[in-house]
Amino acid sequence: MTSLRREPSLMLALAIVVGLVLAFIVYPQVNVVLTPGTSGYVEFLQGGTWLRPLQNSLTVTLLSTTTAVLLGFIYAYAMVYTDMPWKPFFRIVGILPLLSPPFVVAAAYILLFGAQGIVTYHIFGQSPNIRGLYGIWGVQTIAFFPFAYQLIADVLSRSDARLEQAARNLGAGPWHVFRSVTLPLTRPGLGAAILTTAIYVLEDFGNPALIGGIYTVLPTQAYGLISGFGELSAAAAVSTILLLLALVFYFAKLRLDGGRQYVTVSGRASSMPRPPVPAVVSWAAFAACSALALLIFLVFGTLLVSALTFAFPTNMRFTTEHFEYLGQHNLSLRNTLTFGLSAAAFSAVFAVLAAFLVERGRWRGRRVLDFLLIMPAAVPGLFFGLGYVVAFNQPWLDWLDRGALITIALIFWNIPVGYQAATAGLRQIDRSIDEAATSLGASGLRMFRDVLVPMLGGSLRVGFVTTFVRAVTTLSVVIFLFTAQSTTATITIFQLVSDFNWGGATAFTVVDIGMAVIVLLIIAFFSRGRIALGMARG
Amino acid sequence: MTKRFGAVAAVDDVSFEVPRGAFATLLGPSGCGKTTTLRMIAGFYDPDIGNIVLSGKRINELPAHRRGTAMVFQDYALFPHMTVKDNVGYGLRVAGISGKERERRVEETLQFVGLGGLGGRWPNQLSGGQQQRVAVGRALVLRPEILLLDEPLSNLDAKLRVSLRWELRALQQQLRMTFVYVTHDQDEALSLSDWIAVMNAGKVEQAGTPWEIYYHPRTSFLADFVGAVNLVPGTVREVRGDEVVVAFGQRAVTVRRPAGLALDVGREVRLCVRPEALALRPPSADPEGIRLPGVVARRAFLGDLMRYWVTVDGREWIVDQPDPGAAADFDGPITVAVKPERIHVIAD
Amino acid sequence: MTPQLDRRTFLKGLGVVTVAAACGGAATAPTATPAASVAATATAIPKPTGTISVYSALNESTNNQFVAAFKAAVPGIDVALLPLAAAGELQTRIRAEKASPKADIFIGGDSSFHDGLGKEGLLEAYESPNASAVAAQSKDPKKNWTGFYFGIFGIALNDAVFTRKGLGAKPASWDDLLDPKYKGQLTIGSPITTGGGYIFIATQVFRFNKDETKAMDFMKKFHANIGSYNSQSPAAILSVSQGEFAATPNWAHDILTERKKNPQVELVVPKGTGFEIGAVSIIKGTKNLPAAKAFVDWVLTKPAGELNVQLSNRVSVRSDVPPAPGAPTLSSVEMVNYDRDWAAANKDRLLKLWQSTVGI
Repeated sequence: MTSLRREPSLMLALAIVVGLVLAFIVYPQVNVVLTPGTSGYVEFLQGGTWLRPLQNSLTVTLLSTTTAVLLGFIYAYAMVYTDMPWKPFFRIVGILPLLSPPFVVAAAYILLFGAQGIVTYHIFGQSPNIRGLYGIWGVQTIAFFPFAYQLIADVLSRSDARLEQAARNLGAGPWHVFRSVTLPLTRPGLGAAILTTAIYVLEDFGNPALIGGIYTVLPTQAYGLISGFGELSAAAAVSTILLLLALVFYFAKLRLDGGRQYVTVSGRASSMPRPPVPAVVSWAAFAACSALALLIFLVFGTLLVSALTFAFPTNMRFTTEHFEYLGQHNLSLRNTLTFGLSAAAFSAVFAVLAAFLVERGRWRGRRVLDFLLIMPAAVPGLFFGLGYVVAFNQPWLDWLDRGALITIALIFWNIPVGYQAATAGLRQIDRSIDEAATSLGASGLRMFRDVLVPMLGGSLRVGFVTTFVRAVTTLSVVIFLFTAQSTTATITIFQLVSDFNWGGATAFTVVDIGMAVIVLLIIAFFSRGRIALGMARG
Repeated sequence: MTKRFGAVAAVDDVSFEVPRGAFATLLGPSGCGKTTTLRMIAGFYDPDIGNIVLSGKRINELPAHRRGTAMVFQDYALFPHMTVKDNVGYGLRVAGISGKERERRVEETLQFVGLGGLGGRWPNQLSGGQQQRVAVGRALVLRPEILLLDEPLSNLDAKLRVSLRWELRALQQQLRMTFVYVTHDQDEALSLSDWIAVMNAGKVEQAGTPWEIYYHPRTSFLADFVGAVNLVPGTVREVRGDEVVVAFGQRAVTVRRPAGLALDVGREVRLCVRPEALALRPPSADPEGIRLPGVVARRAFLGDLMRYWVTVDGREWIVDQPDPGAAADFDGPITVAVKPERIHVIAD
Repeated sequence: MTPQLDRRTFLKGLGVVTVAAACGGAATAPTATPAASVAATATAIPKPTGTISVYSALNESTNNQFVAAFKAAVPGIDVALLPLAAAGELQTRIRAEKASPKADIFIGGDSSFHDGLGKEGLLEAYESPNASAVAAQSKDPKKNWTGFYFGIFGIALNDAVFTRKGLGAKPASWDDLLDPKYKGQLTIGSPITTGGGYIFIATQVFRFNKDETKAMDFMKKFHANIGSYNSQSPAAILSVSQGEFAATPNWAHDILTERKKNPQVELVVPKGTGFEIGAVSIIKGTKNLPAAKAFVDWVLTKPAGELNVQLSNRVSVRSDVPPAPGAPTLSSVEMVNYDRDWAAANKDRLLKLWQSTVGI
């Protein structure tokens, strides 16, 4: 990309992107960061109540990120490289853990694996204490491996089979090829996966809130300060600590990346198939993925049974009365679908455009924009939404529909994943492809639209799916923003849970998840045929 | 033009002019700045100092996509998600040419580059040579003012490289289009070009016709880079107008003084002689020109010639003997003969 | 519905009574005399009308019927309800919206949340005529908020677990919970992040007359019996109900609600227990003050109190309202002298002390 001043349309696009980022990512957060005021910060920091949660947060982040990325990598490798059967099925399964509306899913884990757990106690006779660090670790690994899986799979699918064939040709065995060719080539995706996962684990509130017990991490501390004690100032200070940690992670990632070239998609097309993976590896992958699928279905199955029985597990009488709530609350379901789909569509496209401007651009300050686009991941949904209320609940903005504001919040809160995916994807595409289009007369934006976007289909999909799934399952982002007209399914679930109506809450959760699964299936069906041509594919 | 990357000047005060319709080549080893120069013409880099003028118009300020140049890349850079037809037609699509007109021109170009009937294929279904043709066709269909080619044949195997070379030259002459071609392969440069600029470390060492570059190189680097060469150190003994007398070893030879080269007595020079300009004779022969008795050190059969390394006065000379099948074999003591008019003086 | 909304838009900010439009069956012109079910004293000022926006921390099952009863009792006022059974979040939201307040009423949740807003000048002071039926310690001296129910702290037990694990006699007092036979059988919300968990610690401190050594000693022994802490108070009751634990200290009204679903769950209210005062307040900047006041007035009436008790098992502040079945009466409960301000001011210090005592 040449200098921007020669292409006004590109400059305009950049201005719009920067403007939106400033308005909808920076400005609301600044409001939150400023909330405590200097004295508030001093008081909070001196109080020292944040020290233990900080330590816990770092511990948990380290553990969960490692295992989630490992699991995600195995899953991605299995999907892209092996000849494992039933791949479309596993593709969906790999996204399901993201579909975790608040409360109910973690409750299912406890039901299955807790001290009186169906699996742990009734089958194996054990009574583990699932609450605490180990519970958080386990649940987060499952909950977050989809991020890593999607990001790494996207990168792996674009890797050039010829490089691997060449290595095999030179006598390297499958393991050697993997270690010295495949693995290093996934670095852009790997880096993105680690950073994204780490930041999301760091800000994860839902899982530690349900299964953490006394083990407090920063997000649960912040939430407790608001929910239990109404201490907004202290809570905002915790949110700022989280932001600073994200900044540290970001710089760590920059060091890790090293700025090397990872181009695997040059304009030189090849139809070479991948070297075959040993059958034993394929079967091992199949076994691992099946085990994971089994776990996930167990959890969802528990939900389903819970929704259809009177009071699972004590009262197993079959009933459908819990589903009556749907009638009264179908507005919240419709809203959830509307907000989710709109946010996902916009977010996916915006993320790819922003990635293009940052990754291919050569203008000063793009590292700052890069960070700003990842930053929302570090902000717990609670504070993201809070920022929007403080920033946009002004008399002169009263005409703004809350539903629209919620959608905007959902868009920008979920930008990081789509953005990371698109950035990793762009790093794999040789610039000569850009330049070829340019030399044939295409302006920057034109080239982006005609050439790059079609090649980044995978990244678009990652952005869309992740945004959608998180949008329909988030409680914390909407809790300060929703109104009676713009209420969501998660709010309804929260209300039912607070009412001790576990049956109703579960039924609603089942429907929420079911709706999302249907959307995912539709997307999966349509993207099946879209194999990017010219790239060897597993 | 000058272009710096950090503290290094990749292109250092390079200046040249390419006539319309010429096949111009930038030749040099890697890192010499030839690709950078090409990319500046294309508009992918901006020169720090200098102007690029196309058909009388200064184009420095024009963005790359509006310069009227089209580029063919070393790795073809075909769009993997488009068919051959769509790849070739892309530039037309961008220019707003649609429908029948576009189809016609695409088909015409495909025929022209020898890919008739392959329009529906995908890039990954084509061989390397075919992909390169698509890349060329994609650029040609736009009828650009200049076609820029960045080592387009480097990724092909030797035979293909040679045959495609002729096709490119034939295309260029047929279309009378200006080509600016970058390569490190001197055979390509010599055989294809109307005009060559040899670059080294960011500077143009010499520009001119292939003949000039080959037979009248101005620097030792140039002499050595293009083809094999004998470079014999000597000293200027006498200057006589258009001729100089150069002493080397125990001998002296009167050679033509290159135009524009000022030489003083006592100046250290090198005598440049191409191996094929030397003849081998039996030791007792008395040929025309200078007679250099020597001993064969070794020889190599290169198919179309036999290359001898001959030690003369302690120095190794390379002598090429054409058509080994018809020539005599030489070994041991021999005489090397050279005509003075085949000797070229280099002072650097 | 629609004709009323049209009217609302037209009348917004005027507070003037108009005659109802011809269309629509539900619209009725407010008459001079209120319906007989409302026992509030009739006022001479014009009848309030329009819409009020109510931010409610009351339970889902309470909200709809409660609001419907209000609309029946005080016709002419429409209610836009924002239900969120989390008083802390509602309080934060009200704070965040202060540039352009969207709420007229904040109802439910412990008075400390209302008090916080009052201290920041975000509430409209109002003393309802019906507040005379409310005891002095249950309402704000500055009149920013008025209490209308109590939440009493008790113990939830699972009868089936007691039988299964052979735990013998049920606990009657807090100290009974220290019995080593309960080792690993108890649970409670985390004091670090839940209000309920912290109130438990503060209650013990007040029970021992602010002797923190004795209170911490209690907490240490109590901690020894804890199987695991729960991140949420309601979830602690669920885990007892599902048989994972034997007992948990928790809110009596929630325990009774769960008992309706699972009769194995029992409630015990020990002596010297903690409590919360559920309050209602008017947000400063409300665009419909007369209607907001009318709402507060109604909430403090006997019928409203009875309805709340019936729906949520809470205890009314009015002595003339009988408690829910199984719930303690005001007079039968012995509550500690719970100093909310002191508890709030010393929270961080007490929690640190607790953490170092039990070794967390």
